[in-house]
Amino acid sequence: MTIPSFHLFVQTLILGGLVGGVYALMASGLTLIFGVMRVINVAHGAFLILGAYITYELFQYFKIDPIASILITMPVFFGAGWLIQRYMLSRIANPEQTSVLVTFALALVLEGILGFIFQTTARMVTPSYTSDAFIFATYRFPVTRLIGFGTALLIILLLYLILQYTNLGRAIRATTQDPRAAQLMGINTSMISAFTFALGLSTAAAGGSLLSIIYSFNPSSQADWIARTLSIIVLGGMGSIPGALIAALTLGVMEQMTSIVVTLYWSPIVFYFFLFFTLIIRPQGLLGEIIREKG
Amino acid sequence: MKKIRIPAPVWTVGLFIALLAAPFAARSQYQQHIMVMTLMAAVLASSWNIIGGYTGYTSLGHAAFFGLGGYLVAWTNNRYGWHPFISSWFLALVVMVIALIMGWISLRTQGSAFVVVTIAVVFIFRLLALNLSDITNGAKGLTQPRPGWAGIPWSPEVIKIPFYYIMLALLSLTIFVSWRIRQSKFGMGLIAIREDEGKAESVGIDTMMYKVLAFGISAYFVAVAGGIYSYFFTFIDPSFVFGIFTSVTMVLMAILGGRGTLWGPILGAFIMAPLSDWIVGKFGGSQIHLAVFGGILLLVMLFMPQGILPTLIEFLNKRAKARNVSAGNPS
Repeated sequence: MTIPSFHLFVQTLILGGLVGGVYALMASGLTLIFGVMRVINVAHGAFLILGAYITYELFQYFKIDPIASILITMPVFFGAGWLIQRYMLSRIANPEQTSVLVTFALALVLEGILGFIFQTTARMVTPSYTSDAFIFATYRFPVTRLIGFGTALLIILLLYLILQYTNLGRAIRATTQDPRAAQLMGINTSMISAFTFALGLSTAAAGGSLLSIIYSFNPSSQADWIARTLSIIVLGGMGSIPGALIAALTLGVMEQMTSIVVTLYWSPIVFYFFLFFTLIIRPQGLLGEIIREKG
Repeated sequence: MKKIRIPAPVWTVGLFIALLAAPFAARSQYQQHIMVMTLMAAVLASSWNIIGGYTGYTSLGHAAFFGLGGYLVAWTNNRYGWHPFISSWFLALVVMVIALIMGWISLRTQGSAFVVVTIAVVFIFRLLALNLSDITNGAKGLTQPRPGWAGIPWSPEVIKIPFYYIMLALLSLTIFVSWRIRQSKFGMGLIAIREDEGKAESVGIDTMMYKVLAFGISAYFVAVAGGIYSYFFTFIDPSFVFGIFTSVTMVLMAILGGRGTLWGPILGAFIMAPLSDWIVGKFGGSQIHLAVFGGILLLVMLFMPQGILPTLIEFLNKRAKARNVSAGNPS
């Protein structure tokens, strides 16, 4: 245990906060999907890693900047999400009970295929600005994290605007609140589910691209990412995007603090701890409703 | 034609005798190895079924108990020379106590929330195993000396045989306990909890007590298997034993055969364990076996969520009924 100096403390806050913004983007899609469909998409982590690999390949072979490749990966994931919902998830009988297993199976398939293609070597996308940083009042702001944070907030803002001010967004929110009533009001809820899942996966695409410039990754790191994103949406309240934002920033900072105060190796404990205890002590999280009980 | 029914005890005993003789029918050590792994898989699936099948709580946390059993056995063997064939049974009781506490905390949640909590349990134990390296040797895992008895190692030609019989003993005990539970008032209570927990509680079942007990019992056999496994391989790898994949294989085997039935998980294990060994052998060190496993799980969940055994029974019943109707004596 080391007690950090004030300077190190603030620096840690900055680094944790910046990465927390990226976590928020990754978690927003997951929480949106849960809100509408009551499906916990355990494959979210695997899709993040898939997004990261696509970004890596685009950078390696076509010299496409990792941020620009978001414009490619997002539409592709949107389409994939649409198909997965229409042809797979909509077929399962009792989604609240079985969706975890189905999406887990999907995660295994993705991890297996990625492992087959890319082996287990850790990769990272390294554009020219990888190790650049701004210095402001003696504090370091790494460029990759700044870009990640900015891009993430921009996409979350877009998501928020779609949800708040478009008819589609209103329909999504209505379905979240009460699927049956929404259906009675003439909303095609199965279309909304497909659209939401597609939207959720496209945030994973963007999240994956941002991940690839900040962290190194290999196929099996999907498990770490599902733990991170799950604990964020659980703490923030399943289905709540503002909750996810607050929880992501909190956990991002706490993770960074733990890695300074204890060691880097213990920092994931923050996520596992909140994942375990939030559901038991406060199932509704910070801002959200209690997960509908079974039966 | 008169239908000949073979009474259940007869084919159970027949199967048991066949299993007793099986290792001598094996043509190679490799086949014996697969037999041991299959029996172990059957123990895991059958034990998981007590909480996951009868009670309806899908635990993805059982890898934690498997790993804990393995680590305790490996550690006490190295430090005090406790023989794993004996210590596994006792050390699993320690794991069972841990499981009872974990269950008492985590069984407050239901449905998907419970699944997520149990995933967190596995992650927490993996982190502990990786980081408490004074005890666990960190990411390198623990090794044990070559298996033997009273200081004399078993000769390599017959080394699989003792493991086969101890696994068979463990499997018999697991099936016996699972069967007794199924027959008992306790088992009826568990099934009632699965069908409707609120109603079960309102007719006077102490649901929390029942669930926690089922969780503990189900962890016990998994932990014994973990202990024997660590000795069989003389090596335990934290990322594998404390991996969600280890939990998922138990779930997959139980669901494939038919969760909630006595024999379904055994059937699932006897299909999946040799198959997975074949897949790993065929594709070597690559990760493609994950994809095959995930693909099978996906197909089962989508097209046969009840599992093989219940689907088969339903089909046979339907056919028997149709035959009765055509013979003019409706049931």
